[in-house]
Amino acid sequence: MKKFLTLYILVFIGSLFTGRLLVNPLHFSTLSKTILLDVRLPRIIIASLAGAGLSLAGLAFQNLFRNYLAGPNIVGASSGAALGAVLAILFFSFNPLYIQLSSFIFGIIAVTIAYKMSKLVGNGIVGLLLAGIAVSALFTSMVGMAKYMADPYDKLPTIVFWLLGSFSGMRWRDLLFLLLPISIGIIGIVLLRWPFNILSLGDSEAKSLGLNVNIYRKVIIVLAALSVSSATAIGGIIGWIGLVSPHIARLLVGYDNRRLVPASAFVGATLLLFCDDIARSIAATELPISVITSLIGAPLLILILARRFKYVKN
Amino acid sequence: MLKIKHLYFSYGKKEILKNIDLQLTGGIGCLLGPNGAGKSTLLKCIAGILNPKAGEIQLNKRGIEKLNFKERAKFVSYAPQEFSVNFPYTVFEIVLMGRNPHINILEGPKKEDIEETKKAIQTLKLAKFENIPFTSLSGGEKRLTLIARALSQNGQLMLFDEPTSFLDFRNQLIVLTVINKIAKRFKKLVLVSLHDPNLALSFCDKVFLLKEGTILKNGNTDEVITEENIDLLYSLKSRLVKLGNKRFIIPEKLL
Repeated sequence: MKKFLTLYILVFIGSLFTGRLLVNPLHFSTLSKTILLDVRLPRIIIASLAGAGLSLAGLAFQNLFRNYLAGPNIVGASSGAALGAVLAILFFSFNPLYIQLSSFIFGIIAVTIAYKMSKLVGNGIVGLLLAGIAVSALFTSMVGMAKYMADPYDKLPTIVFWLLGSFSGMRWRDLLFLLLPISIGIIGIVLLRWPFNILSLGDSEAKSLGLNVNIYRKVIIVLAALSVSSATAIGGIIGWIGLVSPHIARLLVGYDNRRLVPASAFVGATLLLFCDDIARSIAATELPISVITSLIGAPLLILILARRFKYVKN
Repeated sequence: MLKIKHLYFSYGKKEILKNIDLQLTGGIGCLLGPNGAGKSTLLKCIAGILNPKAGEIQLNKRGIEKLNFKERAKFVSYAPQEFSVNFPYTVFEIVLMGRNPHINILEGPKKEDIEETKKAIQTLKLAKFENIPFTSLSGGEKRLTLIARALSQNGQLMLFDEPTSFLDFRNQLIVLTVINKIAKRFKKLVLVSLHDPNLALSFCDKVFLLKEGTILKNGNTDEVITEENIDLLYSLKSRLVKLGNKRFIIPEKLL
């Protein structure tokens, strides 16, 4: 775990000194101090927390669904959060706090609906998967409807930019809102890393090994929903981090969740931070974060899968 | 001692187990019966995976059906018929998971659990596979790993659901020999389900014949496995032959 921490700290320090304004570490001016402490530092911390939260939520769902392809949106959290944000943009003048709140609440609502509906369509985890897909589609279609109806000069660009995700303009006050729910999510999942192993064996196995599956499943869904909803509320839709980070971590530490959970948190934080550095410094204007995470995440996933396939073949 | 009284179980309206009474005082007991007779369901009810509709399950005079999952798993180890892991955990990690009922959920395994795991792996002679992914093992090695896990779980009662299924001729013998040794050496109570009456004849002390959710006959192996009972159980015509001091049952024709 030391290696992960070291790498993260290196990227963290690198991020402080990355950007359009060059800061000389040996000679701080008042301006560079403001930029470092009030602009870059909160943004770095927010991106790290969001990265860790998304990665852990992805890993949690992968264990719960016993499937490598499960991502943070599998039970509808991101789609719900997207609708919440879009509604806030439509009905209120642009106010980040309203957007965050509404987005967070709708993320939780979507997961709750998926969970309640899961009992109607199937048993246990299969029901949840099916309900999650349906709820996700429902909320996504409502987002589409809202986009269609939005004022194309005033509201639509805001909506589109939000949906592509960005950490631009993040300040300490934004962290205040995010801090509690995402910390609960991250700390909770890290604490429950041992029972993840047991849960990933499936319901019957976990029961016979003495785990109260129903309770732990609920707790983990709540923790993951808190992480995804708060990360999405603050940064918008950020694709790929939650899916790719656990895969990278697996390649490095193996499958035992005792090591995999903390490793995934660090990989997610490091990766999203790195992507955000690119998003804010590569061009004259900010790029949306999802563009960068997909651009890096998709080839990375292929690389990892190819490596695993080669390993399996031999 | 395992004692089951008036146990009923149903999936929805379909009754699977009807008024099961079963008593196993020591050694290895065997559930024998055709596909769909309810063997796996009965084992799952004892293991706490399924909730019986009615009835009592006692282990050493203590009712275990009311215990919570964790407490119950301390008394009952269970190895399923089919075990598929979607993630390639190593053999060591799989056996370590058997310690779960003894582990504090938030703290994870301690030194003592690691030692118990190592002991179980050594008992089953699996040390050379310790760091190999479970998914890359052969069928026989997988079975032995599951037995090691049941051993590390350390239940007084051990349930093995068809431990010989999908195994070759030799591996069937290996697995049952190992289960037999464990039962004797650690004084465990063992209940297995089998499909081959001849394996029951060689390895089991007591046999319970299960058909359509009820127990047809039970008792000592030699008394229960007779031509008459086997014919009734599987609806066929069989013959019991003696070779030296061993007895074998051979199917002759369908009825």
